[in-house]
Amino acid sequence: MLNNKKIRLMTKLAIFETKEGKEDIRLSKYYKTDYVRLQVLKSIISTTVGYLLILALIFLYKSEYIIKNAVSLDYKTIGSYILGIYIILITIYGLGSLAWFSLKYEASKKKLTRYFKLLKRMKNIYKEEMPES
Amino acid sequence: MMPLLVFRERIKKIYQQHDIILVPLIKFIFAFIAFQTLNSEIGYDNRLKSIVVVLVMSLLSAFTPSVIMVLLAAGAATLHIYSISPILSILLLIILLVLYLLFARYTPRLGYVILAVPVLYVLRIPYMIPILLGIISNPLAIIPMSCGVILYFVFQVVKTAVTMQVNMTVEDILQVYTYVIDNLINNKQMIMSIVIFALILLVTYFVRRMRFDYAFEISVAAGALTGFLGFLISFLFLGKSNQIFSMILGIVASGAIAFIVNFFKVTLDYSGVERVQFEDDVYYYYVKAVPKVTVTTPQKNIKHINVKNEVLRSQSLTSDWNDTDAEDYDEDEDIYPDNNGLAFRGKNQNRNREFNR
Repeated sequence: MLNNKKIRLMTKLAIFETKEGKEDIRLSKYYKTDYVRLQVLKSIISTTVGYLLILALIFLYKSEYIIKNAVSLDYKTIGSYILGIYIILITIYGLGSLAWFSLKYEASKKKLTRYFKLLKRMKNIYKEEMPES
Repeated sequence: MMPLLVFRERIKKIYQQHDIILVPLIKFIFAFIAFQTLNSEIGYDNRLKSIVVVLVMSLLSAFTPSVIMVLLAAGAATLHIYSISPILSILLLIILLVLYLLFARYTPRLGYVILAVPVLYVLRIPYMIPILLGIISNPLAIIPMSCGVILYFVFQVVKTAVTMQVNMTVEDILQVYTYVIDNLINNKQMIMSIVIFALILLVTYFVRRMRFDYAFEISVAAGALTGFLGFLISFLFLGKSNQIFSMILGIVASGAIAFIVNFFKVTLDYSGVERVQFEDDVYYYYVKAVPKVTVTTPQKNIKHINVKNEVLRSQSLTSDWNDTDAEDYDEDEDIYPDNNGLAFRGKNQNRNREFNR
C-alpha cells in the first residue's frame, strides 16, 4: 500500500537533499572545529601559492634590475619585506576565513534543523509501520 | 500595466511547465554568446573557432553547473593565446590562478560573473552587471565583479601585446612581459572601472533595501545614475570623451534590461517543477512535485484594478501559501501520532480560506 503521507515527506526530503541542502548535508558530516580548521588551512595554502606566483611575477618584472645589481642588493631588507607582507596576508586571510566559515557553518546548521525535524517524522512513520509488517 | 502583469503570469506558467527544457536552453544560449564573443575578441586559433567546437562547448555547459562554463571559457582563452604566443598564455594562466586563489575561490556561486563581465564589456553593456548584482546579490559580489573587470583589461592588453613581434629570445620575451605588466599596473581606467562598479553595486544594493515605495525601481535608477556620473567623471579625467556617448547608451540599455529582469524577478526566483526519485523498502518512487502557486489569470469581471495593490496581494498570497504550508506541517507533527483527521481538516480549512479570498 502506498502511504501518501510518507511519500510527501520523502519528496520534501529528496528535494532538499538534491537542491539547497546538498552543501549543508555535506557540512554536517564535519564537526565545526574540524570544518573551520580545514577551510582555514585550505585558504592559507591557496594564499601562499597565490603570493608565490605574485612574487614570481614581480621577480620576472624586475629581473633585469636584479641581475644587474645582484651583488649590491640589500637582501636583508627585501627578505624582511617579503616575509612581512606574507605574514600580514596570511593573518588577514586566516582570520577572515575563520570568521567567514564559522558563520557559514552556523547558518547551514540552522537550515538543517527543519530537515532533521522532517527526518524525525519519517522515523516515526517507520516505527508505526514496523508492527504491521 | 495590467497586460504586462498577465504576460508575466503567462511566462511564469510556461516556465513552470517546461523548465526542464527551458533552463538548459537558456544556459546554452548564454554559453553560445559567451564563446562567440570570446572568439571574436581573441580568436587566434582557427580550430577552436569552428562552429562545431563552439556548439559542443555550449552544449556541454548547458547541462553542467556554471563552473564548467567558466572553466571552458578560461581554457579556450588560454589556448587561443597559446596558438599565437605561448609566453603570453602562461602569463594569462598565472594571472587567472592568482585571481582564483586569492579572490574568486571565496565566492564559488558567483563564478559566472567573472565570465559575464568581459563578455558584456565587448557587447558594450557591462554596466548591467553591478546593477543586477545589486538587486539579486549582496556586496560580496564585488569580489568576482572586480576579477571580471581585471580580466577584461588583461585581455585588452594581451590583444595589443600579441601584435608585437616576438622572437624566442629571452630579451624579447622579457620585453613583452614588462609591456603587459606596465600596461596593467598603470591602467587608470581599470582601477576607476573597478571602483565605479563597486559604487554602483553598493548604491543599488542599499537603496533596494530601504523601505519605501518603488524601492526596486529607484534602486535601478540610482545605480544607473551613479554609473553615469562615475564614468562621466572618469572619462573626462582620462581624456576619453569620445567614449561618453556609447557609455550613455550602454547605461540606458543596462538600466532597461535591469528593469525587465526586476519585473520578472518573481519568475526567476520561482522554483519550478521538481523531479526527484527515491526508494523505500517496497517501492521506487519517481515523483514530480508541482509547487502550489496562485496565478492571477485575467479576470474580466473586475473593472477597477489598483495595479500596485494587485501585485502586493498576489505576492502576499503566494507567501501565505508557503507560510500555511509550513505551519501545517508543524501542526501535523504535534498531532500526528493520534489523529490525522484533525490535521487534514485544518489543512482543508486553510485551503478554503485561501480560495475564498
